[in-house]
Amino acid sequence: MKKVLLLISWLSGIAPATLWAQSVSDPVINSTLTGTVIDSKTQTPLIGVLVRIKGTTNQVLTDTKGKFNFKTGQKLPYILEAAYIGYKKQEIKAEASPLLISLQENESQLNEVVVVGYGTQRKSDITGSVASISKALLAQPAASFDNLLQGTVPGIAVTQSSGQPGSTATIRVRGGNSISFGNAPLYVIDGFIIYNNNDYANTGASNGGGVNALSTINPSDIESIEVLKDASATAIYGSRGANGVIIITTKRGRRGHDEVSYNVYAGSQQVSKTLKLLNASQWGSLINDVNTSTGTAKTYSDSALAALGQGSDWQNAAIRKASVQNHELSFSGGDEKSRYLVSANYFNQDGIVLNTGFKRYSARVNYERSVSERLKIATNVFGSQSIEDKLYGNTYNSINFQNTAFANLLQVSPVAKINNADGSYNTTSPYSANPTNPIQDIVSTINRTYLRRILGNASLEYKLFKDLTLKVTGGADLINTKQNYYSPSYAGSPGGSGTGYSSGGYASVGNLTATTWINENTITYDHAFGNKHFLNVVAGYTMQHQKDESAVASAQKFPNDLTSFNNLNYASTAVLSVSDGHQSSLNSYLARANYSYLHKYNVTLSVRADGSSKLGANNRWGYFPSLGVSWNAGKEEFAKQWGTVLTDLKVRLSAGRTGNSEVPPYSSLAALSPSNYYFNNALVTGIAPTQIANPDLKWETTSQYNAGVDFGLLDSRINVTFDAYYKKTTDLLLNVPFPLYTGYSSVLQNVGSVENKGIEFSITSDNIKNKELTWKTTLTFAANKNKILNLGTGIDYYFPLAPTGYVSPVIVKVGAPVGTFWGYNTAGLITASDLSKGIPTLTGVSQQVGDTKYIDTNGDGSITTADKHNLGSAQPKFTFGLSNSINYKGFDLSFLFQGSYGNKIFNFLQQKLEIPTLSLNASTTLLDRYSATNPNGKVAKATNAPVAQVTDRYIENGSYVKLKNLSLGYTFSRGFLEKIHAKQLRLYVTAQNILTWTKYTGLDPEVNFFDSDNTKQGIDYGAYPSTKTLLAGLNITF
Amino acid sequence: MKKLSILFLLAVVSCNKLDENPDSVITVSQFYKTQSDAISAVSAVYSALNTDAAGDFPMYGRNMNLLTGNGSDDQIFSPSNTNTDVRALGTATYVPANDRIKKNWQQHYFGISRANVAIDNIPNINFDTTVRTRLVREAKFVRALLYFNIVRFWGDAPLILHDPTSIDVDAQKVKRAPKDSVYAQIISDLTDATRLPATYSGANIGRATSGAAHALLAKVYATRRDWANALTEINTVINGGYGYDLFSNYLDVFQQATKNGKEHIFSVQFGTNLGAKNSQQYLSSGDFSSFNTAVYPGDLPADSTLYQLFAATDTRRAVTFFTSLYNSATGKYVTFTPARFAKFIDYSISPLTNQAQSGVNFPVIRFADILLLDAEVLNEVNGPISDAYAAINRVRSRANIPDLTPGLNQADFRDSVFLERRKEFIQEGMRWFDLSRRGGNYLYDALKKFPDKTGAAPKDTLFPIPQSERDINSELTQNPGW
Repeated sequence: MKKVLLLISWLSGIAPATLWAQSVSDPVINSTLTGTVIDSKTQTPLIGVLVRIKGTTNQVLTDTKGKFNFKTGQKLPYILEAAYIGYKKQEIKAEASPLLISLQENESQLNEVVVVGYGTQRKSDITGSVASISKALLAQPAASFDNLLQGTVPGIAVTQSSGQPGSTATIRVRGGNSISFGNAPLYVIDGFIIYNNNDYANTGASNGGGVNALSTINPSDIESIEVLKDASATAIYGSRGANGVIIITTKRGRRGHDEVSYNVYAGSQQVSKTLKLLNASQWGSLINDVNTSTGTAKTYSDSALAALGQGSDWQNAAIRKASVQNHELSFSGGDEKSRYLVSANYFNQDGIVLNTGFKRYSARVNYERSVSERLKIATNVFGSQSIEDKLYGNTYNSINFQNTAFANLLQVSPVAKINNADGSYNTTSPYSANPTNPIQDIVSTINRTYLRRILGNASLEYKLFKDLTLKVTGGADLINTKQNYYSPSYAGSPGGSGTGYSSGGYASVGNLTATTWINENTITYDHAFGNKHFLNVVAGYTMQHQKDESAVASAQKFPNDLTSFNNLNYASTAVLSVSDGHQSSLNSYLARANYSYLHKYNVTLSVRADGSSKLGANNRWGYFPSLGVSWNAGKEEFAKQWGTVLTDLKVRLSAGRTGNSEVPPYSSLAALSPSNYYFNNALVTGIAPTQIANPDLKWETTSQYNAGVDFGLLDSRINVTFDAYYKKTTDLLLNVPFPLYTGYSSVLQNVGSVENKGIEFSITSDNIKNKELTWKTTLTFAANKNKILNLGTGIDYYFPLAPTGYVSPVIVKVGAPVGTFWGYNTAGLITASDLSKGIPTLTGVSQQVGDTKYIDTNGDGSITTADKHNLGSAQPKFTFGLSNSINYKGFDLSFLFQGSYGNKIFNFLQQKLEIPTLSLNASTTLLDRYSATNPNGKVAKATNAPVAQVTDRYIENGSYVKLKNLSLGYTFSRGFLEKIHAKQLRLYVTAQNILTWTKYTGLDPEVNFFDSDNTKQGIDYGAYPSTKTLLAGLNITF
Repeated sequence: MKKLSILFLLAVVSCNKLDENPDSVITVSQFYKTQSDAISAVSAVYSALNTDAAGDFPMYGRNMNLLTGNGSDDQIFSPSNTNTDVRALGTATYVPANDRIKKNWQQHYFGISRANVAIDNIPNINFDTTVRTRLVREAKFVRALLYFNIVRFWGDAPLILHDPTSIDVDAQKVKRAPKDSVYAQIISDLTDATRLPATYSGANIGRATSGAAHALLAKVYATRRDWANALTEINTVINGGYGYDLFSNYLDVFQQATKNGKEHIFSVQFGTNLGAKNSQQYLSSGDFSSFNTAVYPGDLPADSTLYQLFAATDTRRAVTFFTSLYNSATGKYVTFTPARFAKFIDYSISPLTNQAQSGVNFPVIRFADILLLDAEVLNEVNGPISDAYAAINRVRSRANIPDLTPGLNQADFRDSVFLERRKEFIQEGMRWFDLSRRGGNYLYDALKKFPDKTGAAPKDTLFPIPQSERDINSELTQNPGW
């Protein structure tokens, strides 16, 4: 029996812990005591808790309701000891029956078991940098789990692309290693390895920002998240470990509990901020000034100006208050041999912009069973469907700037009316030749993505011998994306492509399937030699294969709009259909040894060999070793003199190499591409080489060194983890500029290097800890410095491909961080005395008083592109998070502040809104424009459509602090719960994103127009506005 | 159980190969095997003329006009040009780092690269020799056309005739070949291309013909002031039995229905592509974006003098410009001053505002060009003889304007021909070339008449070699004055 228990506890991922010895009987009864053991925090009963009368061998286990009883010869009062794995041992004086014992979870960090790559490890034995995200933070309501990572773990930075429900986020662990490809971390979900590819959520049929493929996962299914940061921890993932690894473990059932749990929350969202735009009469006066500058007559007389009044508020006409709701039902439980969890989830978030929103339906089954003492099987499967109604606009991953529908709306003239007198949309505007209405466009355009995913794996663990276990895992990740787009015959669209108005109705449907299968085979040897030497060795062979196929069909000129995208047969004009497909394979050998002497001196050695089909034929295989050591100095004799002041002192050192091969498939081949021409009005396909073969294309390699220290203060009431690291990435996968006269603009080669160095720490403090009141504070802090060391011989800088018609606002330059802004410095406006002094003015433009004054940084007497220089970087100097949780009796209060300091944002939208034109609306900052009547104006005088230069005016400070969430809950007492036959009941209210402190003038400093494009971070081109949310929820467990 | 797992493992190992057999990409080793491959390789050469590989504006149809239009006295810039480099071309303040100069350079050399690949690979494919030779000659025609533009824009230039065989940047470092070597290659390619078919039928209409090769040779010789050879080629074009003639209606030169007609010697082909493929003609797009007279399309005349060059009776004026638009919202006509370009508006598009789908061809060489060249060359060789008058008057009479004043001296006649060329070919990629080939400070003198062209200088007769090319390859020298 003991063996089985041990096996079970070992199989369930919990290290064997020493409990007390066997039970005995006692015939004489002097007292009877009944009692219940509960979790101090959740108030739920604990099953299988060992309760013993101190100093005796008399002990019992609690039953499925957490109850125990003693009939004993001993008289009351006596001392009871209660022990439970994962909880602090407790002594209670038993004076009368019944007795309630409430156990506290064991929070001593070093005894925790954490999930690491291909196994688990005692935290005390870990040599690398591994951080766990606390349960309390995972319990926050969120559409997608990546929304929860912000501010929780030092060294992980999360930036939402926009406020669009279901939108993508850019996630970086310890800065970005690569310039061109793959800076996102690797995800391991219940052992299944995923490199998240949001391209799989986009077929090309719809437009607008990306859909977050991670949003397919129901965040409340997640039990724990571990973030592996240094090489010692990530090298076991070899080629894909360079950007950090996020290990996600989903919930299991608890043995001996059959539970039904229902969680619900619902709430309301509203826009966080809107931009200040000119009203009709202010706009009219601007138009008059532009007229004056071009020497034409004023459009509006003074009386006409006054009559314009406020005009239309297009921005607010598109915004609404929107609801969000989430329902989740789960069944879980288990017995000695099996554990299970079945859950279902429905999430529905309406967007605050009309006709947008995000929905998810998902279901999960986790099951495991010990078939025999040697064999254990397990499976984790979830299926989900996400539906996103996107705001259309700039096409995902396109390099072109194209207004989103929202940014477009900001520029609509306030003089144009939104509605006609009869309530219909007004489609005539003196400022547009197209009879369309932007609000009607948003409301009537269908732009929907269905994202369906089934992710499942099954594993078999077989104990070949004592201490030697074979594990075989097979899994598949199936993604199907269907997109529907329809622009009715009366709808316009910013940018013009796929506009229903100009094409007589435009429909597009797209379909994409992406299949990943994985097979991992590992052998684990785990042995303790005489309780002194602890050895754990893993070796294995793994394979992964990815295949995607997509197709888009479109048509235009429909006789009417009745069938929208559903029947392209009604269209009279076909648009050429497109399809695409890719495959790639990755085979790997891996090995790791963890050795610990007395849990004091620990060594981790790992190596992985990866072979990737995406690399050149001559260099497919890469080898990624790592070494880590740690020393639990707190366990040494000399540490005893520190008493409880300094505890659990641990020092860690690690070094290793990891890799990155996230180039698209077929990147090393001599590829030909189609291009088109017409003969006799018929389209013909031309085929020409567009990529030179590079059979030597190889891994981008990151060498990382990490030094860390962990310690507790004041009896572990304060726990500190501190890490410093240095990373150097070499053999960058870089599109090296090629002389254009060769016919190729660049060739993908392994050239150049980038470094990242930084420090990070987290401090957790139990400020108050007594029976009734606990208050815990966690501070996380990370500072990372990124620098480009080399871009190849003879190349000092290059500009990433700028959108057609625009100058690149960013530069990739040796010595500067990736994502450096590049432009002019300015010094206010040109004055008459400046002109008389003959200061340098912008070449090629006749600059007058009241125009922007550019600074001649190189002092050559003229303002040319040579005067542009470094205007700062999109990378923050540091990021931090501060979370607090307070429990008083049944109440719990928690809040999280999160912030970023030192990052710059290119406020492209503001620049656009400060360009006076004769047709587009503008920002209220133009009210302070220079003019004859406002000679002290701070903004350049109004001229007709002046050229926008990238200047320091629009490179804004993006530092911010946000109150991300504030939550107040109440957990009902047991007495009440017993009446309603429930095990647990909690009610709560949560407010999210309620406060932001920032100097950034745009909508939200968390913005990334170009999504995860490494070189173009921090660019704001009019994203979907972000929201404030107020929620109320209930969790109940039976 | 153990055996089973190992079996399973082995079974899977064997099926996950690391070799790439691309599903969706054709690789060089698979291609250049059949006649169809050869035809596609040559279609790609033509495609360089109407499509940018990276989705930028096309060479003919937008980008080249920035050099030949904005760089000349026809245009300065439109307030809607938000790209500073576009404006710099109009104000003659461009620098070697100018992005649009680089783009034109790139588009030309990308086309040459495709031609090189076709010329090198097609002879090794085994199929109908007549078609095979023809395809190679077509590629040579386009290569010559592109090198002709290059040598006129930049002078000495890298003369690349083969695809690179290495990814090593150093291996690509070449010197600029002297102008004469570039011209020798152009003449050699065109001479070969003169053996192309005189006409095509059906699905091949639009390909380069022997007439086009002779016409381009004529332009090459005229540019080099090799008047005798130019005259020979002109005579071949006019009297060689090709049947070229002027359309009686000037508008027909720029309409979909009359494309590839008797006046068109070589045109870059566009189609109403309905979103099928991105090969868009941009010269008229944006013309109808707004009824606000201060909202501008991408191209505008330098000032009202361009419009005023035309006599009221000149039928070219109403084809080249429009001055008013009907606003259905107000029921009134909106008048635009100065007039706006209208030449490339595709009137067959409905609604008319949807000019993004314009299917109007871009005429690279048309018969009026050869007639005016005939007048010019005859005048250079013999003075303003009656044949020279006849040639220019043929163009004038089609435009419904009186014959050129008789009895002009040679210099005045020359100026008259160039003025006629200016009026005839607005926005057709001629003006900058015509100004620069006059030599001396002729181009500079024309530009400095416009105060807005603040940077006009004698060095403008050649564009600068793009800075980024010189950054990569230090062997490339810069043009004088830059």
